[in-house]
This record gives sequence, C-alpha cells and structure tokens, in this order.
Amino acid sequence: MSLKRYNKMAYDDLEDMVFGHSIYPVKTGFDLEIGAGYTSAEVNYAPRPAAGESKEKLIAEYQKITTDVLQRMVQVGFPSVVLETEHVQQMTVNPSWGAEIAHEQKTIMEEFYDEYGIKCALRHTPADIRGGKESLDLRGDSYGMLLESFEEVASNGADMLSIESLGGKSVFDSSILRNDISGVLFSIGILGTLDVEFIWEDISKIAKKHDVVAAGDTDCSQANTAMFIAGGLLDRKLAHTLAVVTRAVSAPRSLAAYEAGAVGPGKDCGYENTIIKAIAGVPISQEGKGSTCAHSDLMGNLAMQCCDLWSNESVEYRGEFGGTSVQCWGETLSYDCSMMNTAIEAGYAKVFRDVFMVSDRYRDSQAFILAFDNAYRIGESIVKDGNDIYLRAKNAAIEACNIVDEGSRGQLELSRFEKASLAKAIKSLHSLTDEKDVFIEENMDKFSTMENFIPKNYGY
Amino acid sequence: MIDINPQRILVRYNVKVEKEMTPEEVAEKLFPVEENIREVAKAIFEGDEDEVVESIQNAINNGLDPLNLINNALMVGMEIVSTLYDDGVLYLPDVIISAQAMMEGIEYCKEHFGQDHEYKGKIVSYVVEGDIHDIGKKIVTVLLRAKGYEVVDLGKDVCVEEVIAAVKKEKPIMLTGTSLMTTTMIGFKDVNSRLLESDINVPVVCGGGAVTQDFVSQYELGLYCEEAADVPKIADAIINGLNISQLRKEFHKH
Repeated sequence: MSLKRYNKMAYDDLEDMVFGHSIYPVKTGFDLEIGAGYTSAEVNYAPRPAAGESKEKLIAEYQKITTDVLQRMVQVGFPSVVLETEHVQQMTVNPSWGAEIAHEQKTIMEEFYDEYGIKCALRHTPADIRGGKESLDLRGDSYGMLLESFEEVASNGADMLSIESLGGKSVFDSSILRNDISGVLFSIGILGTLDVEFIWEDISKIAKKHDVVAAGDTDCSQANTAMFIAGGLLDRKLAHTLAVVTRAVSAPRSLAAYEAGAVGPGKDCGYENTIIKAIAGVPISQEGKGSTCAHSDLMGNLAMQCCDLWSNESVEYRGEFGGTSVQCWGETLSYDCSMMNTAIEAGYAKVFRDVFMVSDRYRDSQAFILAFDNAYRIGESIVKDGNDIYLRAKNAAIEACNIVDEGSRGQLELSRFEKASLAKAIKSLHSLTDEKDVFIEENMDKFSTMENFIPKNYGY
Repeated sequence: MIDINPQRILVRYNVKVEKEMTPEEVAEKLFPVEENIREVAKAIFEGDEDEVVESIQNAINNGLDPLNLINNALMVGMEIVSTLYDDGVLYLPDVIISAQAMMEGIEYCKEHFGQDHEYKGKIVSYVVEGDIHDIGKKIVTVLLRAKGYEVVDLGKDVCVEEVIAAVKKEKPIMLTGTSLMTTTMIGFKDVNSRLLESDINVPVVCGGGAVTQDFVSQYELGLYCEEAADVPKIADAIINGLNISQLRKEFHKH
C-alpha cells in the first residue's frame, strides 16, 4: 500500500474545528457514528492485579467491567458509549485470550444494545510486545505475534483497533534525559514515524479484512513520557518547553498511521490529536479532566475543545463509594458529553469550545500550543513539507517554539528558566540541517554506540 | 475567539516562586576553594565530560591524589548538583548529565591510576517481569549513583528468580523495583515472599505508574516511593539505621 501524505489541511478554516464533529466521521459497533454531530464517553480500565493470575480470572474481570459500565450508562440515560480495552501483556502474547475477552465483551454489549438500543462500540488496543529484555525488536518474531493478536481481536468482536507503538523509544529515553533536542527529533520524527508507517500498513490490512476500523496510534511512549516527567508547575524534572517540542514532533509521527490507512478515532492519550484532526479531518478521542484517575493534567478542559470521544485514560477496576470505578468515571465522562451534546443541539458548541480552551490556554506552554488555533498553525507547518518526514517534524518543533515565544510576549507567563530553555531549544533547532538524509546519517552515527539501538528495527 | 485575563482564573506558581539567583550564581558560592579541586567540581556542575577528565589530569599533574579527587572533587561537585536539584534550582537532566560526567571521571581515575573509592552502599534495581517501561528505573539509578551509591542494575522485564539471586549475591542495603501496569506489579508480592522465605529483610522500594501506597503496604518488606528524588533519601535513611516501619513513617506520604 502506498502512503497517503498530507500536503494540505483538511479544515480550510480553523473555526470549523469543534467537538463532536469531524470531516470524516467513522461508523462502528452498534449504530455508533463517531464525529458525526455528538460526543460519546470512551471508558478505559485496567484489571485488578490478581486478575492477571489466570485466563479465567481475566475474562471474568472484563465481563464484570463491561457489564458495570453498560448498566450505569442505561441507569443514568446516556445514549452512547465506547469501551476501550488496553491489553495487559498476557492478552497479547496469548492472542486467544485477547480474542475470548473481545468476544465476551462484545456479547455483553450486544445484549445491552438489543435490550435498550444503546449505541456502543469496542476498541481493543493490543500491548506493543515488541520490546525485549535487552532492546526493542520491532520486526522480529514478536511482531508476528502482535499481528496475530490484532487478527484475533478483530475477528472476535473488537470494532476498532489501536496501539501505542514503541518505535524510537530507546533513543528517546536517552535523549529526553539529556536535553538532546536533536535526539528527540530523531527518535520521534524519524524512528517513530518509520515504525508507525510500517505497523499501520499491516494493521489497516487486518482491519479491512475483518471489516473493522483501523482507529489510530498515540505517541504515549514518548510525548506522554515527556509530559509526565515534566509534571506540574512546580516540578523540576524536565523543562516544559522540552515537553512542548516533544509533543509538536509527535503530531507528524502519529499522523503516519492515517497516512498508512487508519481512519480514526485517534487514541485518547494522543494529546497531539487536535493537530492531527486539523490536518486529516479524522475524529479523535481525547482525555483531560476525566483522566485525573490516571495522571494529573495541565489542560483538563482544553482537551475537550475538539474531541469526538471523551476518555478517562485508565482506571483500576475496584469499588468506590458511588459504585465501581468504571461506573463512576464512565458517568463523569458521560455527563461531560451530555453537556457538550447539549451545546451542539443549542447552537453553542463554539462558545463552549472556546471556554474549554481559554480556561487552560495560559496554564502551561504545553496547553498553549494545543489550543486549537495554535494546533492548527502547527498542522500548517507540517503539511508545508508533508512529504519529508524530517522537515515536517522539524517544522512542527520550530513552529511550537515560535508559538510559545510569541505567547510569552502576551498572556502566557514563562519563568526565567522556561525562557532560557526555550531560547536553547530554538537555537538548537535552527542549527540543524535541512537535509533529511544528512540528519539521519548524523544521528545513526551518534547513536551507533548505544547498545540497545538497532537500526534494522527501522529498515536500516 | 473569546479572550480573558488569565490571572483571574489561574496562578502560575512556578513564575511566582522562582528564585532570584540563577543556578550558576548559587553554585559559584558552593564550589570548593582549592583551585584544582574547584575546577573538577565546576566541570561536574557543567556536565562536561571532557573538561572533567582534563581537570582531573591537571590536578594530578599538580600533585593531587586521584582518590582525594574522587572523594573531594568529583563527589563534592556532584553533591552540589544534587543539593541544587533538591532545592529546586536545577532540573533532572542537569543531574543526569552531571552524573554521567562524574562516572566518567571516576572511571578515568580507576583506569589510569588503579584507584577506586568506597561507595556509601550497594543497591539492586530492576523493572518487574513482563514490563519493559524502564525510564523510571533509569532515573532512580542515576540519582542513586549521583549520591555515591553503587547500583547493580538488573534491567527490565526481570523475573523473580533473577531478582532473588542478585540479592543473595550482592547483599544490597535495599532493592528498588518499578512497574507501570496493575497486572505486572503483582511481581512485587512474589519478590517479597521469596525474600522472606530466605530470611532476607532487605527493604523493597516500589514505584511506577500503577503502583500505589496501599498496594505496596500489603507486603512486609514493601516501601512505597512516589518521587524518584526520594530514593536516595531512603537509602541514606537505611544507612542511618531506620527499619521498614520507620521508613514507612518517614516516606509514606498518604
């Protein structure tokens, strides 16, 4: 399959970007249409530790989770819901386990659909098991097992397929802890993109074969790692400016999934998804204030601005005062969706979008670059050189820095440290070559002595 | 598009409480006075590996003892970096880069002069079986080394057998384990049981994405750690004689 590069923006006018609407809605599951004029909750969960002891316990756990979520949805009158099952490792390395769980979940969902007519769909996200003890082995034996897992879940009930792929991770981990901007660009913009292209060509074929949806990837393993290390306002682990650069570069990387056949909805933890929606017009899942059960957030409202699915990232299945954790978080998400859907029905969607966005716009530089107008600008910088995976990543990084720099002369307050860090990042980015091959050669050479970096993982 | 005055809806506390002095200005006041040693310590602060080696060689040419340089220049330079990190003046990559430079300096002293220094204690670190997410362990390992601990790093996706064998062989003062997922963190339970079966009462410091204080507290040897920066403090506390119950009182924050 040839890659479909994006050289222009899907949205001609950024003002048209709003939650619940996408240019290319996706029909899936039981009567669900994502990005077609309404938002739905996407509930995500993790089994209790003891559930991993056997296949039977794991299946029973997911049966309970699925039933709990759907019962709460109908008890409170919500019209639609998506369930996302992110595989624990056992479910992917034993593809038949993932298949049985998908089947059990889908059977329960069908019962609820038949009885109540609730629109629903199931996303399965196999674990990226291509990481060995010593190093990543992206195209070896474990890749075959990963594809088998996709085949199994796709043929046994999963409506949408996703993954949080790991390409570039070892180089990224080393680079981010050394403030190495060039290394970050190489790991995500080049290595990550090459791996996403490679894996999504295959996932898309599997989705087509089983008539399910190739939904999308997320740069969780890199951009979210940077975001989590950067932490809150007072944390001193990583300059938030570096997390900004990492996020910007993650957009062309995750875009590669759509270039290889994915159609959305992009996965919840891809905070880069607003940029991708602007470029590709696909529906997106997002997480923010509803995912504080999994991690803190500096853009809890802003993330809702253009979402089509609204997610909680993940919560361990357990009891809370108000029911089980999946019921509580599913209800919270669905009330948010109800508010957004009311705004759409009443004609106030853009007003609500702007309130969500502005309430966090100046909270942190990471939020600032993802405000939909700024995300659109980054998108434009990507499609400008859409055919060159290096230049588009570099453009995105520079544009994000420019946006923060301009913002800091207005309402976006930066500390002296952040300003200094931003200046260093801009200097570093402008010192880089414009030639993809030169950049790749320089970095292949630079990381050649890193023991767990294996170029053949990326076709070199 | 609407716009507002953000100062009425949020507070950028990091801007509000930022210290007046730059890290360089603070460090300048802390560097040792003796010129040769000062140069080594400054090179560590700057994280410049070449400069570290060069300044060590200069100091030795001027008659200083390599072991003295390890203990009073390399380690002192690193202590300044660690202190400034603890005080919120420096960021984590600064510590990582300086620690790398310090280890380069120690290696240079060992290779060229056959001298080593005494570590404060030995620690075994690992990522639980089934889990390949190891950036947290990498951070912990560097922070421990920066504080003068010898770390035996078992890597990621480490089975219980291997952990127990390493503890028996290395006899560490503590074990650090990280886990991202709920279903892999159960590996801490097995390590705890196997250590107790062998009458080994070494604290098992646990952290990572899905790990919680409540979960770790179920296990006799378990000590929950939320922040990587706390791990060297826990090691120091163990050296100072705190037992697991006292450690929990000190470091369990919730």
